[in-house]
Amino acid sequence: MTHGLEQSFSSQDIFARRIVNELDASLEDVPHHVSERLRAARVRALTLRKQKAPVPVYSASIHIQNGVATLGAGPGTGQLWEKMVSFLPLLVLLLGLMFIYEHQNDFRARELADVDQALLLDDLPPDAYTDPGFLKFLSVPRESIEGPQ
Amino acid sequence: MATEKELSDFLKSVEKRAFKRSVYHVRDEEAALDIVQDSMMKLAEHYADKPANELPMLFQRILSNTTLDWFRRQKTKNALFSNFNDFESESGSDEMDFLDIKVPEHDTMMGESAEQNFSHTQNVLEIEEEIKKLPARQREAFLLRYWEELDVSETASAMGCSEGSVKTHCSRAIQALHLALSAKGLKP
Repeated sequence: MTHGLEQSFSSQDIFARRIVNELDASLEDVPHHVSERLRAARVRALTLRKQKAPVPVYSASIHIQNGVATLGAGPGTGQLWEKMVSFLPLLVLLLGLMFIYEHQNDFRARELADVDQALLLDDLPPDAYTDPGFLKFLSVPRESIEGPQ
Repeated sequence: MATEKELSDFLKSVEKRAFKRSVYHVRDEEAALDIVQDSMMKLAEHYADKPANELPMLFQRILSNTTLDWFRRQKTKNALFSNFNDFESESGSDEMDFLDIKVPEHDTMMGESAEQNFSHTQNVLEIEEEIKKLPARQREAFLLRYWEELDVSETASAMGCSEGSVKTHCSRAIQALHLALSAKGLKP
């Protein structure tokens, strides 16, 4: 039974190969316009391959084109390096913002310190600024106090 | 990575078979040409960096998928996936002698007369017509397995089915062709 089955498969294979031999022969009879269209399709596909062919980059470098600078990676570093590089501008921006924030804080602290220093070193005691009479004195024009001379 | 020449030679070697296969599937010459062209471009665009020995399998998959896409676009998907039980084996069909059919060997075509040549062309047309009539999966399995000369596992991979299914499809396709060609008394 098994032998019969194998023989059947074998004869099936032979029959199938005779069929495809016929089909192979028919390929020679493909119309000219079809052959030309297939050739054109092949040429177009190969052109597409050239356009998509990767440009090898052999060392890390900076490429400047149309006013845009990008980093090129060396062989083997792959996309990981490119992804890391793409975060570089964001990192620079964050560091810049942190620097500006710290600088502004420092500037304000120094301003307040200068005011405090001026108050403490002045002949007038700081408590004088809490005295309503003194504030009234400051608001009155000096001519009216000293009188005409 | 396949060189440009390897890719070109490969495409040249498969383009006519791919066209014929597509015609068998879609039964429209223009559509078949579009499908083959799309397949070639997809292969060149996305897989040109693959080794040359991987191109045949990749191309067969792309061609199958592009053909399926065409059918989807045509909204005739149901026509593509027809019932696999179209060719239920009849009693005693396992014992058919497939070698009874006298499909001509090419060596005998040398020096044939115009009349014989015409007869040969007619036989090819009959064979092609019967191949077109096969259910899509049987036709695909038969052509991939025997015409593209993929082995069973490669055919299964290209078709996205099991090796057992490939064997079943091929066997049923051959039985169907045998019956149909016998009925037509094909004796080239």
